[in-house]
Amino acid sequence: MKRPAVWVTAGIAVVIALLVVVLATRKPATDRLVKSPLVGKDAPAISTTTIDGSSRYALADQQGKWVLVNFFATWCVPCQREHSELVQFANAHAATNDAAVVSVVFSDEVSNVVSYFKQRGGGWPVVRDDNGAIATAWGVARVPESYLVAPNGLVVIKITGGVTDDFLEQQIARLESAK
Amino acid sequence: MTRRLAWLALGLVVIGALVYGVTDRSTATAHERAQKLGQTIMCPACSGESVADSQAPVAVFIRHQIADMVAKGESDEQIRDSLTAAYGDRIILNPPKSGVAGLVWVLPVAVLVAALAGLVVVFRRWRTPLDAHVTPDDVDAVERARRAEGS
Repeated sequence: MKRPAVWVTAGIAVVIALLVVVLATRKPATDRLVKSPLVGKDAPAISTTTIDGSSRYALADQQGKWVLVNFFATWCVPCQREHSELVQFANAHAATNDAAVVSVVFSDEVSNVVSYFKQRGGGWPVVRDDNGAIATAWGVARVPESYLVAPNGLVVIKITGGVTDDFLEQQIARLESAK
Repeated sequence: MTRRLAWLALGLVVIGALVYGVTDRSTATAHERAQKLGQTIMCPACSGESVADSQAPVAVFIRHQIADMVAKGESDEQIRDSLTAAYGDRIILNPPKSGVAGLVWVLPVAVLVAALAGLVVVFRRWRTPLDAHVTPDDVDAVERARRAEGS
């Protein structure tokens, strides 16, 4: 009777070990590059009012610099986690003005977004997308999702699950060197 | 001749029924059309649900976009193209009619045609008279068997 028990225990141990190996070697939930039909194509237009309603934002006006188009919601935990990374990225490029961030609100209240930015910082444009026209034009399924737009206006990468400053810098350096 | 006419009539009825069945004769309202279209679009944040059935934020957004495009007079094809341009072909729940996936539509028809052709061949073979002749040996054998039964 002892032998079957040993074999069963060994089998379970092997399965658990395999599971650990698979999970440990998977890509992290953040910085996950994913396929998108938009990659290599002109970025869909973003031309709308900012959340305070006082000014207009047009992605077309940003040509000549890298633009990270970030879709987020205040209720989304990975979005909260990536926010400090976005602040770091935006601050690093504020002086050189060679890269910028624009955030698109995904299914959220403007009042929540205003207090979210007040608490966490970030002075980049944040635009409304009340009926989801921007999100659906960009193929957003869930937040956070970000798209990096090259200075020539082409979408170059899509990232799901949140971004980090390091990852964005690496990607920009890689794409710059590939030119 | 009568038999041929009967087959012709049967063929016409079958073709007519198929054409009638696949023709969309509905005069749907814009809302009904958007709803019907939504049932063919997969919710990209859900597993196996259409945007018409899901309450995920993205499904609500896509429903809204479909309704907007329907209101603007865009065709179903244009609406699907616009969504696949952003989300890829996987967003369409019905398989596309071209490429490898198009086999899903073609294969059943091809199998049906092959099966019908097979049946026609088999029926013809059954009707063809056998090329067999009675030989004197056969007659003798039958005679012997009869005599054996009678004795």
